[in-house]
Amino acid sequence: MSFIKLMAKNPFRNKARLTLAVIGIAIGIATIVALGMVTEGLKVSLEEQLKAGGADFVVMKNTSSESSSYTIKDNRVDEISKINGIKQAAGIYTSSRMVDGNQLGLAGINNKDLNMLGAKITQGNTYADDKNELMLGKLAAEKMKKKVGDTVSLSGNEYKITGIFETGNKELDAIAALPLKKIQVMDENEGKVHFIYVKITSGADLNTVSQSVQNAYPGELTTIASLEDYQRANGGLEMVETASTAISLLAIVIGGIGIINTMIMSVFERTREIGVLKAVGWKSRRILGMILGESIVLTLLAGIVGIVLGIIGIEAIIRLSDTAMVLSFTPSLALKALGIAVIVGIIGGIYPAIRASRLPPTEALRYE
Amino acid sequence: MNNGNVVEIKNLIKRYDNGRIKALNGIDLEIREGEFVSIIGPSGSGKSTLLNMIGALDTADEGSIQVAGNDLTLNKDLSDFRSQKIGFIFQLHNLIPNLSVLENVTIPMYGNGYKSKQMTDRALKLLEYVKLQDKSARKPTELSGGERQRVAIARALANSPSIILADEPTGSLDSKNGHMILQRLKELHEQENVTLIMVTHDLKVASLADRTIEVLDGEIQA
Repeated sequence: MSFIKLMAKNPFRNKARLTLAVIGIAIGIATIVALGMVTEGLKVSLEEQLKAGGADFVVMKNTSSESSSYTIKDNRVDEISKINGIKQAAGIYTSSRMVDGNQLGLAGINNKDLNMLGAKITQGNTYADDKNELMLGKLAAEKMKKKVGDTVSLSGNEYKITGIFETGNKELDAIAALPLKKIQVMDENEGKVHFIYVKITSGADLNTVSQSVQNAYPGELTTIASLEDYQRANGGLEMVETASTAISLLAIVIGGIGIINTMIMSVFERTREIGVLKAVGWKSRRILGMILGESIVLTLLAGIVGIVLGIIGIEAIIRLSDTAMVLSFTPSLALKALGIAVIVGIIGGIYPAIRASRLPPTEALRYE
Repeated sequence: MNNGNVVEIKNLIKRYDNGRIKALNGIDLEIREGEFVSIIGPSGSGKSTLLNMIGALDTADEGSIQVAGNDLTLNKDLSDFRSQKIGFIFQLHNLIPNLSVLENVTIPMYGNGYKSKQMTDRALKLLEYVKLQDKSARKPTELSGGERQRVAIARALANSPSIILADEPTGSLDSKNGHMILQRLKELHEQENVTLIMVTHDLKVASLADRTIEVLDGEIQA
């Protein structure tokens, strides 16, 4: 039996203690994985949304400006459309309403600009801007069990479903698109939009045009052409990532303490055995390596259990809450989870391992 | 040490409890290579301490101790010495419970350059020597006391040591199993020319040795 096999075998001696230790660490790892899947999913969804539409870049309010409002006056849409190199600019207003017990995301956009969402109408037709009409995303229609011709009640007004669209993005396909003016009135926010989707003329340079927009409205508006731009302009993703890092650190500390406890107990119970190992000629560093290795085996096992628990857990939560959230499990997330598990193993195992390696053999052999 | 002595101890002093207890009080001892020596004495006389000092499990406070050409008074890592020169047999066998009999025998071989297959082959040969080859896959808890002590003998022989140190090897066995273990040890001594140093409080067991040394209050009795 190789030394690695010997290390891998030892933690399984006391199955009850192993199970408890693994669960303790796995919960922390599962939280990291679940949060990571949400963060990665947000990134994937944002990238899809940025790429899905016909827009080359998105204009949004510079949130670092003095104004706390996230809305843009919709006369900016016309002004921006006249900037050199811009082919089309579309104002988008976003909101949500409870419909038949479900939260439905709403995107207000003029029907001539629907191409900017990258939406393909799969059933029916587009809506008229002056009527109480809307189009449902494919997933929203399935969830609400609605079809073309049915109606949806929004803030006490009946809206007729004129069409079903599909973008390929899970979050966009779970919303309804309706006339811009209607939603502005509904939210008592007339003349305001949240985003301006911009398409540039062929041959124009994206960076130059995007910079022209920012220069035209310094401090007021910012442009987003990539996920990196979005992260710079919006602190939301950064906040989730910071929370994820904080939870990771907490998991390392709590898991580490749990492992110290488990491994100290293990060393304590095996004092006489460690004495025998020293008597038969094992070097202190081999004993240190064995205990540290056992600790890492234990936390790696917890890491694998935590990854599985995290995936199952967050998928279950999203399904039960009926949320159209994109989740993404990437190899780097798995590596991060296993890396944290190994760090917990090293941090938690080092003290018991040093303690075991320094046990005087005669005292260890006398231990009852 | 080329005078035929495998152990040379001069004025060995060992104190415990911050010097309040003198476990060994000026021991002088020479043991020839291939000799079978038994060390007798009552509980607390210092016989096990003397055995532990010969096996480099403990260090001397004063005096000198040379075993198989190694000066054990120099404070250095003696794990290689223990691994290659010494085989320990304890009263309570001290086998690792979650490992099989075979795996227990391989334990001293780690770090000695053996490959996994070589370790297994050698352990099987040693188990054959102690007539336990058919129980190699069993756990120690599935064996009788005598069988466990035979596994401990196989483990002590893992690295072909020149000295076997046995601390009350029959102390926890009935007379039949005790006799069998002593026969194995005597055979080993006679056939392999291994130096056998055995601590016992049983005079009948001690009489099997070439020479008996009595330790009392940390001193060798004349």
